[in-house]
Amino acid sequence: MQSCYYGHDSLLNRLNPLSKIVATAPVILFLSLTADPVTPAVFMLLFGITTVIWGKIPVMRYLRQMAPLLLLVSGFLIFYPLAVNPVRVAETGIAYRLGPLEVYWGGIIFGVTTALRILSLIFGTMLFVMTTDSADFIRALVQQWRVPYRIGYSALAAYRFIPMLQSELAVIRAAHKVRGISDRSGLRAQIDRTRRYAVPLLATAIRKAERIALAKDSRAFGAYETRTYYRRFAFVRRDWIFIGAFLTVSLALVLFLARQGFLGPLAFMQKL
Amino acid sequence: MICIEELHFRYIGRKAGSLNGLNACITQGETVLLLGPSGSGKSTLALTFNGLVPHIIGGSMTGVVEVAGMDSRSATVAELSRQAGIVFQDPEAQFVTMIVEDEIAFGLENLRVPPEEMDVRIQEALDQVGLAHDRRRRLDALSGGEKQRLALAAVLAMRPQILIFDEPTANLDPLGTRQVFETIARLKATGRYTMIIIEHKLDDLMHLIDRVIALTSEGRILVEGNPADVFSGQTEKMMAYGIWMPQTAILAHKLRARGLTFSPFPITLAQAELAFCDVKASLNPSGDKSHPNPDNDDQPPSLEVRDLSFHYGEKAVLKNINMKVPKGDFLAIIGANGAGKTTLAQHLIDTLHPPSGAVLLDGTDITGINARDLIRRVGYVFQNPEHQFITNSVAHEIGFGLRQLGLPESEINDRVTNLLIQFNLEKLAKANPFTLSHGEKRRLSVATMLAVGQEILILDEPTFGQDQVNAAALMELLSKLHAEGRTVIIITHDMTLVAEYTYHCAVMAGGELLFHGPTADVFKQFDLLERAGLMLPPLARLSRRLASHRPELAELMTIEQFTTALTDDPVNPYEET
Repeated sequence: MQSCYYGHDSLLNRLNPLSKIVATAPVILFLSLTADPVTPAVFMLLFGITTVIWGKIPVMRYLRQMAPLLLLVSGFLIFYPLAVNPVRVAETGIAYRLGPLEVYWGGIIFGVTTALRILSLIFGTMLFVMTTDSADFIRALVQQWRVPYRIGYSALAAYRFIPMLQSELAVIRAAHKVRGISDRSGLRAQIDRTRRYAVPLLATAIRKAERIALAKDSRAFGAYETRTYYRRFAFVRRDWIFIGAFLTVSLALVLFLARQGFLGPLAFMQKL
Repeated sequence: MICIEELHFRYIGRKAGSLNGLNACITQGETVLLLGPSGSGKSTLALTFNGLVPHIIGGSMTGVVEVAGMDSRSATVAELSRQAGIVFQDPEAQFVTMIVEDEIAFGLENLRVPPEEMDVRIQEALDQVGLAHDRRRRLDALSGGEKQRLALAAVLAMRPQILIFDEPTANLDPLGTRQVFETIARLKATGRYTMIIIEHKLDDLMHLIDRVIALTSEGRILVEGNPADVFSGQTEKMMAYGIWMPQTAILAHKLRARGLTFSPFPITLAQAELAFCDVKASLNPSGDKSHPNPDNDDQPPSLEVRDLSFHYGEKAVLKNINMKVPKGDFLAIIGANGAGKTTLAQHLIDTLHPPSGAVLLDGTDITGINARDLIRRVGYVFQNPEHQFITNSVAHEIGFGLRQLGLPESEINDRVTNLLIQFNLEKLAKANPFTLSHGEKRRLSVATMLAVGQEILILDEPTFGQDQVNAAALMELLSKLHAEGRTVIIITHDMTLVAEYTYHCAVMAGGELLFHGPTADVFKQFDLLERAGLMLPPLARLSRRLASHRPELAELMTIEQFTTALTDDPVNPYEET
């Protein structure tokens, strides 16, 4: 999502894209295994603070970016308690009743935990997304992690394509509306509409893709097995410091939470 | 530098060949203008020069293309792309990266240029195209003209001897076009490059051209030679194939048909200035300068815009627009890319919703008119005709709107048949709209918009990407509809078209309506044009140049006006000769 990228100068922007992955990926993985509400909440804060301070992202902008995700996740808060198997949470007592539905405290905690866990994963990912130019990420992948450059650059082209398709779709919608396509709702109308949008959209997409491919080929793309790089990517001292510091702080937090008794058994340790 | 012998090429899956037996030699340092109707294989030919044909693009090629001493069949694309670089038409679809310097580095990286050397070559290339201070800018922040110059810089950095331009200004506004042409002129002056240019805005390019090669629609060479000979001697042939020609050459041709002689035959504005200086004064020197005559100001407004503003995010796209379009007007909305032209037009059909009371149709607020009634009264043709196609056949496409009206099937069939004939589409009634040629698609999209008999017709860049025959045919059609009393509004960058056909202009810049009035008045206000990033049409510039010697020739804009002023014989600019 290029629209999330906040392109300016900050510590996080200057870091090698891969160092941000090395630092955050283990933490994100760990969070996905937690089953208590406190740990993800604490790490949400850690990710948020890191992004806002060292990514120099205005707090309001950060929150605006997160707002739709918060909405999405709040769905879990509402529905999860209803969907939890009552047998597992029966001993926690009933919190309230909705007609025939009995909602247990355990179910609510379950919902909160799940919502927080998902949010913490998103916050972690956004640390990377908001401060990383996708082109740099792909260059680093190709240069440091030996991703074949043809694949890397195809991914980049596809990525540049998305906003183009979005604006194209908006135009097609307007164009069809002017033809008097009724905006009926219902499954049948929806299917018809999708089919009608798909043809011109595909036609444009294929044409553009062809043009981009020709433009790349005429600049000798793929002519040799290797290429040189104007912008070279490698881990420098600040990358190692960031990785070390972030992982150390994370580990300290986990140990602290465990000692305080907040960190419950991890997902794979639980009895099902 | 480039030699072609008996070149044939056929795309995979096509029956007819795209190129059928071409022979040509282009010498070092020459600048060649490549012309031809749409579908004549100009672009395909351009791609043979850097080896994409046949190495990358599938098809069967016979014959020889020799580029800088290499046989294109045995040389690799890498070797050829070092010799010949191409700038393509679509500024959006030729970039790979997000930042200016990275984009230039891309080609160098592919050629395995050592990184230490890239810095110098990037700077050098940017200097050549006048973007020296834009190294770190993001591509999406560049204007169209800047993008095309960047595409050129990216090619120049690879240090080719041959530069190929495939309609580099087709998507650009007048200012962007001028920037690109000025850059081409600078490169030409260095004498280092052999250039092949495919273009159809020719008047500002002609002084750079050494030779013209025109192709037929079957992919053969129609005419070849120096520009003066080609445009003076082969005019009829070129017109018959619908090939674009310089306005000055068309004018000189018309004048010659009325008994005037020129030596040399003028094909650039400078030559025309000299040539027309000596033409004897007409018996009726005042001519009929009032065409097209805006005598419809007292008509009630068909469309009215009141205090319309529009924001996209934090950006103001329209700022307080006020405008009245009288019934039966022929209006052009002109301005640079991003001036807000399309946004304004989309408010007129409610695809962008105006606030209530901001857009009135025949005095009624359009937000109060239901969608179905609105599209019966206002037709809108989008820039890309494909976007509007919704059925599987041409006939259904035209009948679609009528069926929605619930007309009896027999009447629908009659009206569809009439429109098919009127738009010269009757042979294609059963074809799928997506399989038509560009000109046919455009005609179909206009036909579908007229099926229900809308009073107002709005067209976004109606002549974009069309050859001269199709463009002229479409404009004649619009003139006819206009003469029948319809209100026509076009958005366009083509100032020649504005001068020839429209009554009024709405000039926009940065979301503001700078001027709204008779077309002739727009072209008298140089500061207005400057502020809006517009250019005078070529003949209006000629008229300006002539005015110092021949004051009676001032303020002419069209071939028709010139012909009337210089002879006594009024003509239709696109008459058969």
